[in-house]
Amino acid sequence: MKLAFSAEQQELRDSVSRFLADRMPLQRVRELMESGDGSDENVWSYAGSQLGLQGIAIPEEYGGGGFSFVEQAIVLEQLGAALYPGPYLASAVLAATALLASSDEAAKRDLLPGIATGSTVATLAFTEDNGSWEPDAIRLAATRDDQGWRLDGHKNFVLGGHCADLILALARTGDGLSLFAVDARAADSADGLTRKQLQTLDQTRTLGRLEFSALPARLIGAPGEGGQILDRTLDVAAIALAAEQLGGAQRALDMAVAYAKIRHQFGRPIGSFQAIKHRCADLLLEVESLRSAVGYAAAALAEDSAEVPVLAALVKALASDTYFHVAAENIQIHGGIGFTWEHDAHLYFKRAKSSELFLGDASYHRERLATRIGV
Amino acid sequence: MDLDLGPEIAQFRARLRDWIGANAPAELGGLTDWRIAATAGGYQGSEIARASTHPAYALWERRLGEARLICPQWPEEFGGQGMDAVRLAVLNEEFHAAGVPRVRRGMGESLVGPSVIVHGTAEQRAHFLPRIISGEDVYCQGFSEPDQGSDLAGVQTRAEVDGDEVVITGTKVWTSGAARANMMFALCRSDPSAPKHAGLSYVLFPFTDPRVRYRPIRQMSGASEFCEDFIDGVRAPLFNVIGGLNNGWKVAMTTLGHERGGAATVQHLGFEREFWELVDTARKYGRGTDPLVRQQLAWAYTGVQVMRFTGLRTLAEVAEGRPPGPEASVNKLMWSEYHKRLGEIAIGIVGTDGLVRPDGSGYPTTQWQNVFLSSRAGTIYSGTSEIQRNIVGERALGLPKEPKGQRP
Repeated sequence: MKLAFSAEQQELRDSVSRFLADRMPLQRVRELMESGDGSDENVWSYAGSQLGLQGIAIPEEYGGGGFSFVEQAIVLEQLGAALYPGPYLASAVLAATALLASSDEAAKRDLLPGIATGSTVATLAFTEDNGSWEPDAIRLAATRDDQGWRLDGHKNFVLGGHCADLILALARTGDGLSLFAVDARAADSADGLTRKQLQTLDQTRTLGRLEFSALPARLIGAPGEGGQILDRTLDVAAIALAAEQLGGAQRALDMAVAYAKIRHQFGRPIGSFQAIKHRCADLLLEVESLRSAVGYAAAALAEDSAEVPVLAALVKALASDTYFHVAAENIQIHGGIGFTWEHDAHLYFKRAKSSELFLGDASYHRERLATRIGV
Repeated sequence: MDLDLGPEIAQFRARLRDWIGANAPAELGGLTDWRIAATAGGYQGSEIARASTHPAYALWERRLGEARLICPQWPEEFGGQGMDAVRLAVLNEEFHAAGVPRVRRGMGESLVGPSVIVHGTAEQRAHFLPRIISGEDVYCQGFSEPDQGSDLAGVQTRAEVDGDEVVITGTKVWTSGAARANMMFALCRSDPSAPKHAGLSYVLFPFTDPRVRYRPIRQMSGASEFCEDFIDGVRAPLFNVIGGLNNGWKVAMTTLGHERGGAATVQHLGFEREFWELVDTARKYGRGTDPLVRQQLAWAYTGVQVMRFTGLRTLAEVAEGRPPGPEASVNKLMWSEYHKRLGEIAIGIVGTDGLVRPDGSGYPTTQWQNVFLSSRAGTIYSGTSEIQRNIVGERALGLPKEPKGQRP
């Protein structure tokens, strides 16, 4: 296992960071928040076709870059720091991982190359109106007739779900939970797919609600394989999201520390007061703890270690607490300007909460962790 | 998962493993569980002390000395082998895995030696260093004073020059290992007219001198791990002043700044063992299914694992020749605050059994009562959490210093 970044990995981090600073500054993020579906097609397609970011961890045989999850975590950290609002987590992590975790060789060859270049925006639809992250709560039904499989029911809280070209959905069959693919480019309500973009607390993260009515779908892998695919995908996604949260937490801490150095009150920089300094030191401890944990979990995933399920629950809980705490303290340290719409602190605060709640909050993952270590 | 540190380190590890296999006396491993001693959470000192009197231990100590495996991180010319932090970490891991003790020379090894190496003259190095390695000189620390806690540069203990001697008079406190020590390294005021930091000297003097008296300080846990020392005119040659007269602050800062990086990957092991003991306790008390207890245990597991991940990360960085990142500076804050919280969780889990102590004279306590009580000291000694946060804030984050107060 390697834990120190190589020169190539540092170069990757720097180039993604420069790309985002240049093409997706917070000013641009705000424009996307206010208008449309939150994605910038030029940035998305450049990231996919020129930088290879969407396909970075997809094997070369499926059109990807063939790098490991360590490299993908580097990308995710930078995306999180920039509050990148496009569907990267949906397409390059959730959908790509679900396909890779399936046994369906033909589907991988058909669908992954488009995801890798960014020409396909994909997502994974698994949660429903009940809001549960547990596979047992899934009610979407898949039935088979002489023309193939059809889906009936709904999905909710689907990342990028309102605009994805390809929807992978978990549904129940007689053989249990199974994964299905829907080509949403062609489908509309006449075909049995109704989509709605949701108004999100965190406007940098778009969510959709989907209704399916006898919608034709393609079975991915064998019937009954969905539970296993979903377990694996949620573990990978938890670590991926934690990498994003790390990036956001680090950026929020940097903002707070920079402000504490320049803001003067009572004739001194406020960072010289222990009330502020000690708070920043505690936040650094939390962010560095998270950095160590995400680095280890990413390396474990790259090696396909048996530790992954434990690490997934551990880092998602840690990242959720850490990012929210840092983002909240960032507002407090900024004082009055910190709770204005104009200042960027609230963007991180809202992203921190949406990232905490998505895939299950810290308590949910600590309970999973307790179970997984055998408590 | 094992950290991949490259082929050279893998070879070093294999050679070391062979050496331990060939040289560790057969009875050594069975004398006690030596792994406890290498970890931060253990309180089994007397058990270790008893096992250390066995002839197999003496034989092991001699073989380690011959192989330069005592103070191995010291430079070769001073009796070590210049072992870097990565190799030292591997050494700790292999000794731990084999269940054999590292023979350490306490504060002589970790604090006095490095200061003498950096600030001593050739003659001082030749005199003091071999006596530390051989175990002839055992040091205790004389930094804190009753009126000087965090504000170390304010120490009042005098070191007056009298001919070619210094005469030391004053009171030191929070000395651990006083009963085992024959030497003290102390920060003393040699020029009371100079500004606070400029009038200090770093002096080594005989602690067995009849003009030294000490009394144990009983802690809230009932244990007495520290002493208060009354030093009344002890004389030491000027030769025993390290780094020159009135230059003690700089020497003391070397001492405090000395990284114990080699412990990075074994430091968490004691906490990990303690965590699983607490899980067993929770099950025994039927609390393993209580959702709140499960949250607390998952939190504690996360704390221990973060220490493990951080140690591995630091080691990986150092192995690449990079300086350790900010994660190394929060180490003390992390484990001491963690342990305090763990003590609170543990006594909550045992519930009413936390109310009652075992029978016996003195103040005997159960394991979890002891963790609950003794862990309170961890965020105070060796730099309080508040001092740690100042250091982290100023050095790692570059926040401005607080304006200095007036001297009383």
